[in-house]
Amino acid sequence: MAVGIGVSVAVLEPGMATMVAVADDPGSERGAQSDDFAEEAIGYLDTLYRGALRLTRDPAQAEDLVQDTYLRALRYRHSYQSGTNMKAWLFAIMRNLFWDRFKGGRPEDVSLDGDAEASLYDTLKDPTAMPEADVLDRIAADEVVRAVEQLPELHREVVLLVDVEGFSYKDAAEVLQVPIGTVMSRLHRARRQLQRSLQDYAREAGIVHGEQGRAG
Amino acid sequence: MNCRECEERLQSYVDRELSEQELLEVQRHLEACPPCENHFRLQLHLKRLVKVCCESGQAPAHLRAKLRQILF
Repeated sequence: MAVGIGVSVAVLEPGMATMVAVADDPGSERGAQSDDFAEEAIGYLDTLYRGALRLTRDPAQAEDLVQDTYLRALRYRHSYQSGTNMKAWLFAIMRNLFWDRFKGGRPEDVSLDGDAEASLYDTLKDPTAMPEADVLDRIAADEVVRAVEQLPELHREVVLLVDVEGFSYKDAAEVLQVPIGTVMSRLHRARRQLQRSLQDYAREAGIVHGEQGRAG
Repeated sequence: MNCRECEERLQSYVDRELSEQELLEVQRHLEACPPCENHFRLQLHLKRLVKVCCESGQAPAHLRAKLRQILF
């Protein structure tokens, strides 16, 4: 798993939840910090901050999360394999910090994945369950963000990785430490939920009328 | 390929995760099946909409300054 995106076990172990000051850590090599690693890492700041904002839904917490992500990245820079996917490596660190700090531990495979076998075919059979493309165009960006932020965290994070950040299923699976099939089923369910939320909003906002609304 | 088989591959098709052979099979079905084609367009539209809407915004300047101090 470490080969693909450079996420090593050392970075992901549970004992790392407590961040210590960089200055106390002999592995941080302060004397050699002004280098390619730091330059590349800071290049992902906006991306990480937006992700943190979507995860925490709070600007102050997002800042804390991003700062701690960089501190941890700096401390464990030796575990990053140069030339691999730094964005995925940073997201893996941030995602683990998020679950440790804000959610009280790493997520288990919870009931959200329970009926992962459900097929979008069911949705296809019921055309009223889906908004039309032109309806989507009339929904404000804020509402789309809100719908994403209302997804359960396990679904939200996979949407962030695959849809917003463009991660492959394989890279997303490595960041989330789950099989590719789990990435696919969570994504599938997240998108269904997004469709429902946006369709509900469109109906309530009068963008579509009752008969076009979702049946149930 | 029937509609159900297409539907099962549509997500991977939208996410560009299919093999070339599977991709061609889905494409062929979509060209001949308006309901599946509509569903594909909706899925693609939703994916793009989420990306565009969630991609905006920058990190605050003071956070960037603080991190530059830490990193460099």
